[in-house]
Amino acid sequence: MSRVLLIEDDPAVREGVELGLRRRGHEVRAAATGEAGLAAMTEFRPDLLLLDLMLPGMNGVQVCRRVRERSQLPIIMLTARGDDFDVVIGLEAGADDYIVKPARTEVIEARIRAVLRRLDDGGAGRQAIEVYGELTVDRVGLTVTKAGRPLALAPSELKLLLHLCAAPEQVFSRQQLLEHVWDHSYHADARLVDACVARLRGKIEDEAGSPRYVQTLRGFGYRFGPL
Amino acid sequence: MRRARTRRGAAAVVGAVAFAAAVPLLGGCGIQETDPIEAGGPASFQAFLNRDHDMLLFFRSPDGGLSPVIRTTEPAAGFGEGSGASGSGEQDLPETDGPVPTEKVVAALLNGPGEDDRAAGLSTSLPAARPGRAVEVERSPDGTVTARLPLALEGLDRTALRQLTCTIAYSQDADGQVVVELTGLDGTSRSGTCGLALGER
Amino acid sequence: MTTGPRRSRFRAFGLRTRLLLAFLLVAGVSAGTTAALTYREARNAVLQTAQDTAVTSFRDQVQQTGFGLPLQGGEDLEFVLRDIARKGKPHPWVVFAEYGSVRASSGENPVSTVITPELRRAARANPHGSFERVVKDGVPYLTIAMPMVFKASPDSLLPSGLVLYAVMRMTDEQLNVDALLMAARDGALPGLAVALIPGLIAARSVLRPVRELRQAAQSMGSGRLDTRIPVRGSDELADLARTFNESAGQLEQSVRELREAEARARRFASDVSHELRTPLAGMLAVTEVLDEDADHLDADTARAVRLVSAETGKLAVLVEDLMEISRFDARAAELNADEVDVAEAIRKTLHNRHWSDDRVRTELPDGIRARLDPRRFDLVIANLVGNALRHGSAPVTVSLRAETRSASPPVLITEVRDSGPGIRPESLPHIFDRFYKADAARTRSAGSGLGLAITLENVKLHNGTIRAGNLPGGGAVFTVEIPRHAEEAGG
Repeated sequence: MSRVLLIEDDPAVREGVELGLRRRGHEVRAAATGEAGLAAMTEFRPDLLLLDLMLPGMNGVQVCRRVRERSQLPIIMLTARGDDFDVVIGLEAGADDYIVKPARTEVIEARIRAVLRRLDDGGAGRQAIEVYGELTVDRVGLTVTKAGRPLALAPSELKLLLHLCAAPEQVFSRQQLLEHVWDHSYHADARLVDACVARLRGKIEDEAGSPRYVQTLRGFGYRFGPL
Repeated sequence: MRRARTRRGAAAVVGAVAFAAAVPLLGGCGIQETDPIEAGGPASFQAFLNRDHDMLLFFRSPDGGLSPVIRTTEPAAGFGEGSGASGSGEQDLPETDGPVPTEKVVAALLNGPGEDDRAAGLSTSLPAARPGRAVEVERSPDGTVTARLPLALEGLDRTALRQLTCTIAYSQDADGQVVVELTGLDGTSRSGTCGLALGER
Repeated sequence: MTTGPRRSRFRAFGLRTRLLLAFLLVAGVSAGTTAALTYREARNAVLQTAQDTAVTSFRDQVQQTGFGLPLQGGEDLEFVLRDIARKGKPHPWVVFAEYGSVRASSGENPVSTVITPELRRAARANPHGSFERVVKDGVPYLTIAMPMVFKASPDSLLPSGLVLYAVMRMTDEQLNVDALLMAARDGALPGLAVALIPGLIAARSVLRPVRELRQAAQSMGSGRLDTRIPVRGSDELADLARTFNESAGQLEQSVRELREAEARARRFASDVSHELRTPLAGMLAVTEVLDEDADHLDADTARAVRLVSAETGKLAVLVEDLMEISRFDARAAELNADEVDVAEAIRKTLHNRHWSDDRVRTELPDGIRARLDPRRFDLVIANLVGNALRHGSAPVTVSLRAETRSASPPVLITEVRDSGPGIRPESLPHIFDRFYKADAARTRSAGSGLGLAITLENVKLHNGTIRAGNLPGGGAVFTVEIPRHAEEAGG
């Protein structure tokens, strides 16, 4: 199915998650430290990174940043804490989603699938390449350029942008975005959306403080444009 | 509620006390009337009494008291004009040194107030004297003066008796401090002192 | 709440007013008494001087005069009297003479209208000089009666029957006395006004500690237990302040210890659940493996394996709930409010829990929007419905309505009713307690025992209220009221 790199220091969790995912047909490579995980990346070439935040030595947030420096590999954080602060830091560092431990294997797999799922709304009747101001969005090639320069967008950022610009000027509530972009089937943490919007703005907007493309409607949600 | 009332009551009491204290203190403003207040003795004046020539007669003043009158026997005297004339009735006793004889003084008294005396509202309580009968005055060794008067004492009022007593007493004694026994034609006798003197101040 | 009726700073009979009044009363009585006594003494002295001067000088004057006896009325006498009158001290007199029926004066009328019969009687009755103050038509007069005597011999004085009177207007004295009165009044009134200033200062010095004490007590009441009062001096108020500070210190100490103990207990619960999560994470990840392979094992092993799997799941729920309640205790729970369609949110909650069949009915009017935390609201509804299904019986009805009451913000009312026997009355007060078991016979239920406690905390986080009760026809009802913070969304 998919190749999952698991970085988790606790042997029981590591073994349990590895066992559960492998049973479901995933190819899993487990690493006990951040350094070992990073080292395994080039050789293993994972489809997705399952990353514990609390690691000895290099911690999960640092690993997350290091990965984002060179690739847009989908990253799901495993957080043993319910501590909201860690979640926010991890999301800001570039993680696409998070799972609170303890979690059943089915829950973990559902999140993996959601992150890996391609958006299917770029379908018929649409041009493959759309231009919005300086932004050029290629729905088929899944690339975005700004003034001709390609932008490195993480999977969740790309999916959010594609979803928003598919219906310019339509307002989406954070709950709707959580459902459509992140596939959260029930009410999840809306900060997932806020963190992702912040990261996306940092990449596509001229000034993140006064956004042009992804605009906020206080009390309602977000919309694309009007430009 | 009850406490509030007590407090109000206490305030009222305090106010009343303050008011009661203030009234006598502040009330007597300005100059107030007074009752008659004694202030020292009487004032003594110069009456020009010369015991060698002058008689001291006591007449009745309108308010019922006795008023002393000075009547001189010296006709040529510059003072008391006319008094000698009015006093010089029928008896022209020879001039003597020393006090005027009591008999003469009593006779003058019985003659009644003179013109000046009446002008000043003085009168006498004694009956008019009947001429001819003399007055006899004796002074006993113990100082008592006995006077036989040419009239009946019975029926005389208190003022009349005091007129007689005082006139005789002051005639006999400069201080008037002698006991005078009066005997009338009817044999009645009264004795007493004058008691008008104030004493030396 | 301890906010009493608003107290005005200046109360009608407040401490300040009473202190001021007392101070003014004392100042007023002392100033008034002093002024009045001084005035009286001074007035008496003024009058005394005038009277003594007049009587003495009158006597001196008449003693230098000669009169013949009987006294002759007429111009000569008037001349003599005028001569005496001229030399009157301290002011000119009018001199009257009365002798027998003779009446004469130095003035125009031979008889005075001012001299009273009492004075005449006194002069006649005993041979003393006497005076009397008379006020006639508002004018004060001094009347002096002087009985005249003469020397019948060097040692003996004899009343002459002549009485001389002097009548003197006391106008100047009255002016002096009036001036004295003015002076007393002008002295006492400013004195009283001046006394107001130390009165205010004294009242302030007493009231300031009292005010500080009140503010400190209010401050303590509102939770600032480190409030202290500065202690000044060594009077009773300072003692009071010291006692207050000591008590406040002890209170603060006790509260701090209690809070520390409570915080330790909570931290312990939080730490324990934390520590449980990691092993649970491993276990929970493999329960699936156990469940799937149980079918291939022998019956006993399979039962054991399924038991472990099921209980691991429950343990995970319990730990998750403990973590949640710990976050509330640590006040780390945040409200991530969003504007949502409430009916839609409830429907989604029920749908996601697979409660869309006949067991749960809904009365959800469309178009009600409210600003709330969708995740927490989802938990509230899920917990209440789950609780109703577990402890009551189907069908469970979830109803929603918006209400606007006067003088309060519009509220969102959500009711969850079940068709069970209802909650026993003795359980009602404890229904939201942690680990409270309404049914003593059922020692363990499917829930963690924290569901309603977490629900309560979530509702409180929304500034809302939750009530549990029984329907008249049987069945329990939970009512959640949450402020809407949002207006009806048009279209």
